[in-house]
Amino acid sequence: MRKRIGFFICHCGINIAGTVDVKKVSEGLSKYPGVVHSEDYIYMCSDPGQSRMVEAIKEKKLDKVVIACCSPTLHETTFRNAAKVAGINSFQCEIANVREQCSWVHKDMKKATAKAIKISKAAIERARLNESLEPISVPVTRRALVIGGGISGIQSALDLANSGYEVILVERSPSIGGHMIQLSETFPTLDCSQCIMTPKMVEVSKHPKIKLLTYSEIQEVAGYIGNFKVKILKKPTYVDPDKCTLCDECTKVCPVAVPNEFELGLTRRRAIYIPFPQAIPATYTLDINNCPGLFPIACGKCADVCEPGAIDFDMKPEILEEEVGSIIVSTGYDLYGKEEMAEYGYGKYEDVLDGLQFERLLSASGPTMGKILRPSDHKEPKEVVFIQCVGSRDPELHCAYCSKICCMYTAKHAMLYKHHVHDGQPYVFYIDIRSGGKDYEEFVQRAIEEDGVIYLRGKVSKIFQEGDKIKVWGVDTLSGKVIEIDADMVVLAMAMRPSEGASELAKKLKIALDKDGFLAEAHPKLRPVESLTSGMFLAGAAQAPKDIPEAVAQASGAAVKAVNILSQDRLYHSPTIATVNLTLCTGCGMCVDVCAYEAIKLEEGKAVVNEVLCEGCGTCSATCLRAAIKVKNITPLQVHEMIKVALGG
Amino acid sequence: MVKLDDIKKECKSILEEGKVKYIVGYKRNNNYYMSIPAFIEKIEETDQLIWDPTCVYNLVRFLRDEKLRKERQKTPDTRPIGVIVKGCDSRAINVLLQEKFIKRENVYIIGVACEKSGVIEKKKLRKKFNEKNIKQIEFGKDNNFIITTEKGKTTISAEEILAERCIECNNNTPVIYDVLLGEKVERSLSEHFRSLEKFESISTEEKWNFWKKELDKCIRCYACRSVCPMCYCDECIADSISLAVKPDTTAEEKAQKIRWVEKSPVSSENFSYHLIRALHLAGRCIDCGECERVCPVDIPLRYLNKKMEKEASEQFGYTAGLDPEKPALVSDFKDDDPQDFII
Amino acid sequence: MEEKFEPKIIAFLCKWCSSAGSDLAGVSRMKYPPNVVPITVMCSGSISPNYILSAFKDGADGVLVSGCHPGDCHYIKGNYYARRRITLVKELLEFIGIEPERFQMSWVSAAEGAKYTEIIKDFVKELEPLGPQNKLRSNL
Repeated sequence: MRKRIGFFICHCGINIAGTVDVKKVSEGLSKYPGVVHSEDYIYMCSDPGQSRMVEAIKEKKLDKVVIACCSPTLHETTFRNAAKVAGINSFQCEIANVREQCSWVHKDMKKATAKAIKISKAAIERARLNESLEPISVPVTRRALVIGGGISGIQSALDLANSGYEVILVERSPSIGGHMIQLSETFPTLDCSQCIMTPKMVEVSKHPKIKLLTYSEIQEVAGYIGNFKVKILKKPTYVDPDKCTLCDECTKVCPVAVPNEFELGLTRRRAIYIPFPQAIPATYTLDINNCPGLFPIACGKCADVCEPGAIDFDMKPEILEEEVGSIIVSTGYDLYGKEEMAEYGYGKYEDVLDGLQFERLLSASGPTMGKILRPSDHKEPKEVVFIQCVGSRDPELHCAYCSKICCMYTAKHAMLYKHHVHDGQPYVFYIDIRSGGKDYEEFVQRAIEEDGVIYLRGKVSKIFQEGDKIKVWGVDTLSGKVIEIDADMVVLAMAMRPSEGASELAKKLKIALDKDGFLAEAHPKLRPVESLTSGMFLAGAAQAPKDIPEAVAQASGAAVKAVNILSQDRLYHSPTIATVNLTLCTGCGMCVDVCAYEAIKLEEGKAVVNEVLCEGCGTCSATCLRAAIKVKNITPLQVHEMIKVALGG
Repeated sequence: MVKLDDIKKECKSILEEGKVKYIVGYKRNNNYYMSIPAFIEKIEETDQLIWDPTCVYNLVRFLRDEKLRKERQKTPDTRPIGVIVKGCDSRAINVLLQEKFIKRENVYIIGVACEKSGVIEKKKLRKKFNEKNIKQIEFGKDNNFIITTEKGKTTISAEEILAERCIECNNNTPVIYDVLLGEKVERSLSEHFRSLEKFESISTEEKWNFWKKELDKCIRCYACRSVCPMCYCDECIADSISLAVKPDTTAEEKAQKIRWVEKSPVSSENFSYHLIRALHLAGRCIDCGECERVCPVDIPLRYLNKKMEKEASEQFGYTAGLDPEKPALVSDFKDDDPQDFII
Repeated sequence: MEEKFEPKIIAFLCKWCSSAGSDLAGVSRMKYPPNVVPITVMCSGSISPNYILSAFKDGADGVLVSGCHPGDCHYIKGNYYARRRITLVKELLEFIGIEPERFQMSWVSAAEGAKYTEIIKDFVKELEPLGPQNKLRSNL
């Protein structure tokens, strides 16, 4: 079929017409092959301008139009909508940018006019080969999955559920709560962490829209934005939570004692246990790895004493399959381990603790019921050394990044220590104090001025035990003095790092990691809660070290981003996507490798494009040696023709 | 040096065991001194096999033919074919595996190490001998070749007639094989990219004059493409085709072919063809030298590919055909790839 | 009188950074010579070596490829692939004796209208003494 192309050039007042002879362009293009209508008008984007275009399309039965005007970023949509009104497909309208890229940057009218003609011809050549396309749309599964039940995951789940969407919250440990439930009091307000956390945990458990899966792990994720299919492994707890009355008889008879994870090894727990009294779900878990054995039953004492008969040794792992439209990943952090920090005697000396262990000592419900006592001899420590940046900001040996929260929690630790032990003396070794945040600087000042915390700027060079003291040697770089402290206890502000297993999970989700192993955001400034995989969002310390308010803010942000998707009936996607010529494709998979969106897969030896994931960048097309893949409406043939006319034909 | 008997023994045994459908190797071409490819199906035919410095061909090319043949057959014999490969050729197999063109189980690789030797280059040979008089060329001791002419045997240092690519080779041992014959020996006969130096030190105009003279000779016979193990596309983009023509292809669709290169053997089109070919072989060419060997007008095609090989190696640390599991040169990047030329 | 040689330049610009940067040059009313005709593509990663060779064959005296700065690609990593691909094209063209000045690559962000202006000005200045590019140009 012969193409009937209409060409319109806008004067844009004198913005274009001042430098480009629009009459000459219009006249020149009227003789160009395929062009059956050519005109110039003072303001094409005005209503009368658009009407002229619509009328011309109708009257002259145009099937394609090219408008030479300003940058397509400004009015491409305007003219494409007008083209649609006139009855042609919006992709049959192309823009020739003769203002920003021509009239505004040149002075010589003759040359600018010649260039405007070339630009216009190139746009006509492109339009000539444009396909009519309709936006691609896919239905949306209006449910969300939140992975990780710490404060971030809880916040995201609640926000989503309160917006009316069903949420599946998956947590791998037996209870939700994450690290926040382990904390004693939180900076800078010193409100009790458990007091503010437990109501949220209870809300999660009671919320009709939230399906809570604890002791569960993500096994497999397939699909794409709006339509993810997730397989979740629910591990057996061997305790029926509905029957369990929390009588605690089972733990009394269990013969096994292992380090208590919740108390960070400061106490021991049984093989059957509740992680902590306020655990959600409120039930016991039989830790099969430490139980004397179920296959065959080696002990069975817990079941014998369980009056309600809640213990069920026949419980089996279950694989649950769920469909969701969006996924929020909030897998949190771990502290740097003792293996990595042997130089500070961590893991070697009982009274060298990490920050979370000290939180437990401070906690009213902790192993010492809120009294600060040394793990080694249960004596009250009178001199405590806090060391900041342990493992952080050390690109040579450890992590290059700043763990961000340590300055503040160390100030809090030192302050709370002083509140407990009035005659004690806290020292803090620091590199810098980073106290950006609402009321944070004031908090640190309070620790120094009101609570008499001694801040020493410098690094600790050596820690060793001598008698019942822990000798801390260092240098105060401000005074230049050598410091030697006979400490009773040392608390290390360990670096935060991505939680264990985060990278394996990221692989399953196809979410990229940054250089430190944290989940990578789509853009460091403008898309901080989105992952590079569309439909998946990031919340909390899984993305980077952050404190509670930041984690909560990001969690709410992620929830809103998920709602953006879940609130749609269908998702619409640009149809200018890659398409494969199956005859030419040899299945080499180079396009699969270069696709940033994992939108291409090999099926039966041929590349197949997922039209929802493809963003139409065309990197696949330049990579393909067989010219077997191209992006619709900016095909190599179109560019080839554009090059010809852009050079004068 | 690899013993011919070892090659024959291996080939006999895999044919006996029925492990392979047939074996592609080298045999004598009647009385001519150069070898030709041999397709050995029967055990007794293994006696035809030879191994000498004239085994220049990259037999990996035949894997493509085999693949196409198998695709046409209704009930193909799915056993692998055996193929005798030198170090360079073996890397071609890796590239084909990397590009998923063949499967590992489709091929039984009989790797033959070149050790400290290699194959001859006819151009060099012709300068020293009258080709017609040569009866046979064999591997001698201490890196020598023994040349038999009507007048008798002459021993010549291998380097004198060794192919330039062999002199520059640093993959003298196959990198992938089912069986390896010969010894893995380290050698560095020369700088890996030495032959390029003479091009890189000359002026832009000298470079142009050289290539203009060479590429203007091209008659576009496409022998280079036909012999190349990497040129396995059914349709080459140099054939003005971006779309396969089928019975139901409309005239309009036919018009949608992109003519990146016109067929006429004129300067501009010859350049386009050879530049596109060099770029398409970047990170894939394993320097088997076949393109240059078959060129009827003696265009030194190898240098175009060698240049790409050099940049891949020096700028991106990439060598073709070493690891079939890794992404290809152009479907991978490093954050710190060099970018000095970018403004 | 002999007419002054006016080099013809094709600039392949990625839509999100370099084309936007050249738009900014316009909005800021910067001035550069009209020798360049831009062709906007989605991403520098989509620029095939065929485009570049084609432009020279069709008579371009100079070709510019421009994309987002490393790390800023709208499509995450297209410009990194472009960098590798274009490096190979550049090396090959120089190897066969095409003046290095004739083929350039730049990173131009959406904020770098001034940089784009300078690049074009310099490009024209560098091409002028070289005269027309006839080496790869097709006479067909």
